[in-house]
Amino acid sequence: MFNKILIANRGEIAIRIIRACRELGIKTVAVYSEADKNAQHVQLADESILLGDAAPKESYLNVDKLIRAALDSKADAIHPGYGFLSENASFAAAVDSAHLTFIGPSADSIRAMGDKAESKILMKQSGVPTVPGFEGLTSDDEFKKAAKEIGYPVLIKASAGGGGKGMRVVNAESELSEAIESARREALNSFGDENLLIEKYLADAHHIEFQVFGDKHGNLVHLFERECSVQRRHQKIIEETPSPLLTPELREQMGLAAVAAAKAVNYYNAGTIEFIFDPLLSTFYFLEMNTRLQVEHPITELTAGIDLVQWQIRIAAGEKFPFTQNDFHQHGHAIECRVYAEDPSNGFLPSTGKLLQFLEPRGPGIRVDSGFKTGSDVNHFYDPLLAKLIVHAANRETAIQRMQTALREFIVHGVVTNIDFMQAVLKHEDFAQGKVSTPWVEKNLELGGLLPEQDIPSFENLIAAALADVVFVGAKAQPAVSNETDPFNPWKQTKNYRN
Amino acid sequence: MKINFDTQTLEINPSGDQYVAAMDGKTVSVQIIRAEDGRMDLLIDGQRVNAHVSSDMAKRWVTIDGHTIMLTKTSGAKQGVRHDHAGGLIAPMPGQVRSVSVSVGDVVKKGQTLLTMEAMKMEIRIQALKDGRVTALHAAQGQTVEREQILIEVEE
Repeated sequence: MFNKILIANRGEIAIRIIRACRELGIKTVAVYSEADKNAQHVQLADESILLGDAAPKESYLNVDKLIRAALDSKADAIHPGYGFLSENASFAAAVDSAHLTFIGPSADSIRAMGDKAESKILMKQSGVPTVPGFEGLTSDDEFKKAAKEIGYPVLIKASAGGGGKGMRVVNAESELSEAIESARREALNSFGDENLLIEKYLADAHHIEFQVFGDKHGNLVHLFERECSVQRRHQKIIEETPSPLLTPELREQMGLAAVAAAKAVNYYNAGTIEFIFDPLLSTFYFLEMNTRLQVEHPITELTAGIDLVQWQIRIAAGEKFPFTQNDFHQHGHAIECRVYAEDPSNGFLPSTGKLLQFLEPRGPGIRVDSGFKTGSDVNHFYDPLLAKLIVHAANRETAIQRMQTALREFIVHGVVTNIDFMQAVLKHEDFAQGKVSTPWVEKNLELGGLLPEQDIPSFENLIAAALADVVFVGAKAQPAVSNETDPFNPWKQTKNYRN
Repeated sequence: MKINFDTQTLEINPSGDQYVAAMDGKTVSVQIIRAEDGRMDLLIDGQRVNAHVSSDMAKRWVTIDGHTIMLTKTSGAKQGVRHDHAGGLIAPMPGQVRSVSVSVGDVVKKGQTLLTMEAMKMEIRIQALKDGRVTALHAAQGQTVEREQILIEVEE
């Protein structure tokens, strides 16, 4: 087992990994940028190393600095978390070359799944269902012929792509040439690779993914699905497991396909196979593989009863995974809400500032993974994720109720959050019926109903805001007893307080 | 005393060991049951209201029943009316200016990208709203800007 692990990440996931290490008796090294000097992950780790400026390429994306930090601190392994360098094959290879262990899959597995066209070809060869389409086309005529065969609407996307870049939905042949040209340009700018693939566009599909987990000795299982269809701008907001759409038969078929997909690239450690699911035909297609720990891993941990981060570390150290597929069952229902510092009424644009209050909810079946506390700064350099609120309950209905209660108790002042927005989604009839597909948020925003029309403060809001000045500001400035002349001072009314 | 938040005006005054609050012709009695650490338990006309309240300069954040709202304290005169920025293009979010592609005096076309900014992995293009000439630049590459800060001024 490792003596010391360097965590090449920040925020809640760095803290999650620190805790797993502590439980395993492993020392931790945090890395940080100038902007994160006072961040919680730095305070919680056994050691910490400053990487450089706030800009990610000077800090969390800087391979040389990270390897140097690991060697200097005598760490024997690096956990990349998610995002940043977690799916960068060259980073995984650089870690190996420095005689350190990369806590994740092999560089070869990352590379094989990194190219959308190549991985799709590989999946077809392995018998994993893929969205009908073609790879390796170059001329407009070839694309035209392919589109006709597939049937419009079609999706053009960058082979090297990700994050919606170099992606175009094409509804008719007249739009095709222009879409190809602009997607090519964007792909070249973003990834330095202009290759495109074309496939059927599924307009009202769900995003259902399967957690897979394997060791370096050839054992590989799946840990069931996560339904992640509540999205905006291709970013997930709410995830849950089990998916309200899957029958036991479908779950088994998809689980087998997920395992086959992972085996095709000799996968080990934690990974996720993303599927597009068509609810009308109950068919599913391989979309891509995320070769890392997923943001929403906690809902799997709670329902499958496994500590994924601990096992990532143990697998990386060479341990055998002692479980087989039949050892795993889904227990109850879990939901995750991503609390973001962003303003749904302002196009979901980020909101920054100092957290004046940050009170996390508590109670049975409630888990909060966060990297903030009252007084923390939310800066504009990194992801707007403030916290992951995760609940676990006996069934879906009670899990939704538990989430609504927990969100109600989550107090965040100082930045605008999406808490009210998520409440609106949770209480929507479509969500209750499990009918939310990936374009649902955008469609319903246009229809209205997910955002308050006008957020006019109530009389109660105004009274509380007005009293804040005299209650809290006054109290901070002077000790309670000395302010007798202030007619607003509530501290002199102690005898009237009720308990 | 009168307190203005955004476009609303509240009158609140002490009365014995309570307060009397009035707005839009409605008057209620307010009793503070407890107030500590940003939390305030009130009796408003006998109804219990639990609020979380924070202050940051002119801003007040209030959460009641899980619903959070931000208010801005204004001097009565302004009444919270937002500036009309005329030809000024404002930052839609706080963040960092990634690039500025025009200089003062440049002639620009409607829809032309004048500046890009970035926050939390999101890139936003600030585009000209009309044809015109750049008369002032208030932001430089690498500069950190606040939401609604004027970045560029364009005149027809």
